[in-house]
Amino acid sequence: MIELHDVTKIYDGQTVPAVEDLTLKIEEGETCVFVGPSGCGKSTILRMINRMIEQTSGDVLIDGKDVRETDPNQLRMSIGYVIQQIGLLPHRTVAENIGIVPRLHGWGKDRVAARVDELLELMGLDPEETRTKFPAQLSGGQMQRVGVARAMAVDPPVMLMDEPFGAVDPIVRSRLQDEFLRLQREMRKTICFVTHDINEAIKMGDTIAIFTKGRLVQHGTPQEILSHPKNEFVKDFIGQDRVVKMLTLFQVHNIARPNPCIIRENELPDIGRKMQQEQAPVIFLVDDSGKPCGLITAEDLERETANGAGTERLKELAYSKRGAFIGGDLLLNDALSYMLEWDTDYLGVMNGRGLAEVLSMADIRECACRKEGDQ
Amino acid sequence: MNGVRILDALSRVPQELTIHIIMVVVSLAIAIAVSIPLGVFLTRPRFKKFGVVAMNILNIFQAFPGMAIIALTMPILGLGLKPAIGALVVQALLPIARNTIAGLYGVDSSIKEAAQGMGMSEGRILKEVEVPLALPVILAGIRTSAVYVVSVGTLAAYIGGGGLGNLIITGLNMLWVEFLIVGAGFGALLAIAFDRGLSYVEFRLTPPGFSTK
Repeated sequence: MIELHDVTKIYDGQTVPAVEDLTLKIEEGETCVFVGPSGCGKSTILRMINRMIEQTSGDVLIDGKDVRETDPNQLRMSIGYVIQQIGLLPHRTVAENIGIVPRLHGWGKDRVAARVDELLELMGLDPEETRTKFPAQLSGGQMQRVGVARAMAVDPPVMLMDEPFGAVDPIVRSRLQDEFLRLQREMRKTICFVTHDINEAIKMGDTIAIFTKGRLVQHGTPQEILSHPKNEFVKDFIGQDRVVKMLTLFQVHNIARPNPCIIRENELPDIGRKMQQEQAPVIFLVDDSGKPCGLITAEDLERETANGAGTERLKELAYSKRGAFIGGDLLLNDALSYMLEWDTDYLGVMNGRGLAEVLSMADIRECACRKEGDQ
Repeated sequence: MNGVRILDALSRVPQELTIHIIMVVVSLAIAIAVSIPLGVFLTRPRFKKFGVVAMNILNIFQAFPGMAIIALTMPILGLGLKPAIGALVVQALLPIARNTIAGLYGVDSSIKEAAQGMGMSEGRILKEVEVPLALPVILAGIRTSAVYVVSVGTLAAYIGGGGLGNLIITGLNMLWVEFLIVGAGFGALLAIAFDRGLSYVEFRLTPPGFSTK
């Protein structure tokens, strides 16, 4: 648990505080993302926690203990620290880089080597191949992984991450974020994470603290912040698409409905009766092997039958939506994108074996409205 | 050209060359022992403020003509090899100190920040991070000084320091071109040898991570 009480930092030779009267509590096992425009003081706060910067006034406590009571080097050895530039020692191998903090703690050679391999594997890097490489031989994504591994080397309960994924391209960044979230679900470390990217904050944070000009504007869960932005600044910072951003907080299987209505190709002549019987707004067409290959809505069916369309026409109609199937772990905003792309109000949700659930535009709207409404 | 004189000059080369090498090596060693700690000292945040003063003093030393420095050390240290070495040390300080400072400042600040953030002490960061990474630049300074000291070293003969300068002075006094050529030629060869030798050392001591770039 990290607590800041009335913390103020005024840099030498300046009159305007870089951080002013900050009181903030980060619970054990929580990821708190500090977000705000450049120069809002978020990195300064991070560095006051491991005493890279001393506060002008106020107290910083880790697990109830004032950080100033611990020797700075001892303190830093017990806190994982990742920066955007990574700062791997270029003249040391990957293994030596990861082993720095364990060696500072006085671990034996074998224990360090075993831990290095364990961490490399955890980070999705092949130990055999990677451990003897120098940082210059790694790709950007690999360097970031080594940087995170190095910070986790002695399994510190607290980690400070200053734009840890800021220097890699969006695709790699997204993958690193997913991997780190997966790790964090198991590790439950107390993490302070600095970023200027609100999307990253929403994705990574259990809570988000929004700063501007050295002041904390709002601290809350992503949902609270998206649904109840405290003022115009927060609203602007989140952007016009805050409802769509809120959809990123949910996965498809959070709101999809089970038992989709299914029809086989050879049953197509019977489609009208079947839909009426099931009272379903949409029916999914599956081929003989059970693979879904399209859908027809009740409205479409009614219109087409009125026009006297035959089985072939219905099949053609169903096939025109053949891409309207998604995985249950997809985020709602991506699902919405699929709906727009395939021009459909319904999507089939696949699990490992086949069609499992149905997601409708109405469900997404309801979700967005409901979440907007409740606290 | 006089064949006998060439042989005569060559026969004196081993002795003078040995003295010259001793002179250069000793003065370089002393200059390194002074300049590198000085450079480290002047890059520590606490002592940064002395940097400008110290570097200006060294600049003045460097700006003195070699001949003048050698002449000026004579009243203080007398005649012989010792004052010659003293004069050469004064001249060798600047390039090494300047490159040490440049090298240490050139170390990526994010690397130092990461090292500090992991809990490495100042001394440890200096030893394990800053000096290894600054080493190529520091060695380049030593090379510059070495070449410089070899050439200024020929002036040591004027105050009885000996070395290849003896051959040159004899050549000048007697108007023996052969002595001039042999003395100057070996001086040049020695300078090249030092430069190449130190460049090899630089290559060997460059941190391995750098050579893969």
